[in-house]
Amino acid sequence: MNRWRQRVADPVFAALIAAFVLAVAACFPLKLALERPVFSHIVIVDITRSMNVEDYRQGGRAVSRLEFVRQSLIRAAADLPCGSTLGLGVFTEREPALLFEPIETCAGFSAISAAIEQLDWRMAWAADSLIAAGLRNTLELLGRGDADVVFVTDGHEAPPLNPRYLPDFAELSGKVRGLIVGVGDSGLSPIPKYDESGRRLGIYAEDEVPQRSGFGLSELPPEQIEGYHARNAPFGSERAGGTEHLSQLKEAYLRQLAGTSGLGYHRLESPEGLARAITAPALARRQQVAVDVRWIPAALALAVLAGVYLRTLLPRLRFSTAN
Amino acid sequence: MTDWALDMPQWLWGLPLTLLPLWRLPLRSAPCSWHALLPADGASRAVDLSLRLAGAGAILALLLGSSGLHRREYTVERTGYGAHMVLLLDRSRSMDDSFAGRTPAGGEESKSAAAERLLSGFVSGGRNDLVGVAAFSTSPLFVLPLTENKAAVLAAVHAMKLPGLAQTHVSKGLAMALSYFGDEPTAGSRIVLLVSDGAAEVDPDSELKLRRWFKEKGIRLYWIFLRTAGSHGIFEAPDNPEDDNAQARPERYLHLFFSSLDIPYRAYEAEDADALKRAIADVDREEQRPLRYAERVPRRDLQAFCYLAAALALAWLVAAKCMEVAR
Repeated sequence: MNRWRQRVADPVFAALIAAFVLAVAACFPLKLALERPVFSHIVIVDITRSMNVEDYRQGGRAVSRLEFVRQSLIRAAADLPCGSTLGLGVFTEREPALLFEPIETCAGFSAISAAIEQLDWRMAWAADSLIAAGLRNTLELLGRGDADVVFVTDGHEAPPLNPRYLPDFAELSGKVRGLIVGVGDSGLSPIPKYDESGRRLGIYAEDEVPQRSGFGLSELPPEQIEGYHARNAPFGSERAGGTEHLSQLKEAYLRQLAGTSGLGYHRLESPEGLARAITAPALARRQQVAVDVRWIPAALALAVLAGVYLRTLLPRLRFSTAN
Repeated sequence: MTDWALDMPQWLWGLPLTLLPLWRLPLRSAPCSWHALLPADGASRAVDLSLRLAGAGAILALLLGSSGLHRREYTVERTGYGAHMVLLLDRSRSMDDSFAGRTPAGGEESKSAAAERLLSGFVSGGRNDLVGVAAFSTSPLFVLPLTENKAAVLAAVHAMKLPGLAQTHVSKGLAMALSYFGDEPTAGSRIVLLVSDGAAEVDPDSELKLRRWFKEKGIRLYWIFLRTAGSHGIFEAPDNPEDDNAQARPERYLHLFFSSLDIPYRAYEAEDADALKRAIADVDREEQRPLRYAERVPRRDLQAFCYLAAALALAWLVAAKCMEVAR
């Protein structure tokens, strides 16, 4: 017994035992649950005609809103930390079409970027662009809580919205988390016109697009409408002129939509900006990941062992006479 | 060994430490009056060397382990069963109805939900397909390129559950699906699996283009037609010859068009989920051709081996230390 106590009292022996125990411990799969931020987004991209407007500049060349959105989205998807998921959909008329449910962004990056690359206005199944109704349907359909909705649009309603009939966001407000991404320049630009095979035919002229809403009843009382006729001209007989054939980012409108639906707003100015906006801490989800911590006992064993050998370098001050 | 790698090579700065045990032993030296008196002993020398190597080995193993020694992920070419396949899915609004042609009520399943469920099973089965997904309604939708990422394909198939869009414009969808395949022939068969509940007339322009592409690209075509109760089938000729045209019977004429392509083609009419399941099982059986594919062998962690080696070396040192003569 005495002999053992004496041995354990020997610091070298104790250290070797400790290093051995630590090395054995490191052989077991030691994991520590840590939390890290990940993101889950469903990105719905407006692919209506006004998204073809070329009001972004890149390397001295004018690029269309959709082209800029594609590049920015690929960059932003690449910036999402592994474990994040991204789903993609397109929007025209008043309905979103989900292409795929969220996919893990590291393993699925090549598939996701290829799908983003192919976003095209020719995917549109209707030409109308009812942004508010589309946003409402998107939130209703996809705002399930397991993913945030990123709604990418220029805010250009076509045909113009009748202020009498605004979609009601009251019941959705606060239930869905997400972001409206405003695309485009604040100046008015012409909307390019293409034929079905993608050939450019010029631009839309003033009389080629509806300049005012012709839906339902006018918001004005009949007395104030020039040439009002209840059946034949409920919006008056005057020719409607306007700037609806030109397009700009309707930022105030989108901010207002974001406010009433409880979403955030980001204006798309650079790919890096979009990447930052969709990785904002407010949108982060906590994910538990198991982190391998075997290196901790291993490093301790190493330190102890190094200590043992470094000690042998110390000059022997005293000849061991332990008895 | 180029396929071995470290996560944190900084730990290798500790490598000079491995020299120390070769020089010094952590054992108490036993005093003896004159070394020359001791006989030369081979066994003693061997033990001495083994203890020095054990010390150096333990430090080396701990360093390698801490720096995360692993074998890199690599791919091996294997032969499995599968094909290069594009799922061409109908996203028209009518897919949201049940097989009886109504809005699903109670326990009824819509056509899109049945297709989603059974295709999910097909995709996640043991096949080694490279699968791409395209969808169509009035316009074609590019969904996913040909990929081996099954989770991604499942995510795309799951998106079918959401409400449908508009009309069934099948020829644009077919053109989109064919565009997934390059012009150069590849090993393994190329399949387009069309799942739709209707059809539309193929306009003469696209007819010519499709005819050429199907042939040139060497496509095998499967059409699973989800037949709604009371609608016309794809195989039956109308009783009234006046109805025998592409406007009145687009489904039948699409079938005739496919049959005339002179490519391997099978059509299935599914009137309920069971028939759909049988059709999918049939495609699965038919397409059991060998396909060479690259399988990813995941990275293999070698830290455990390092720590085990370190523990064994340390055990030997501890044993030697135990045998020290206590005086």
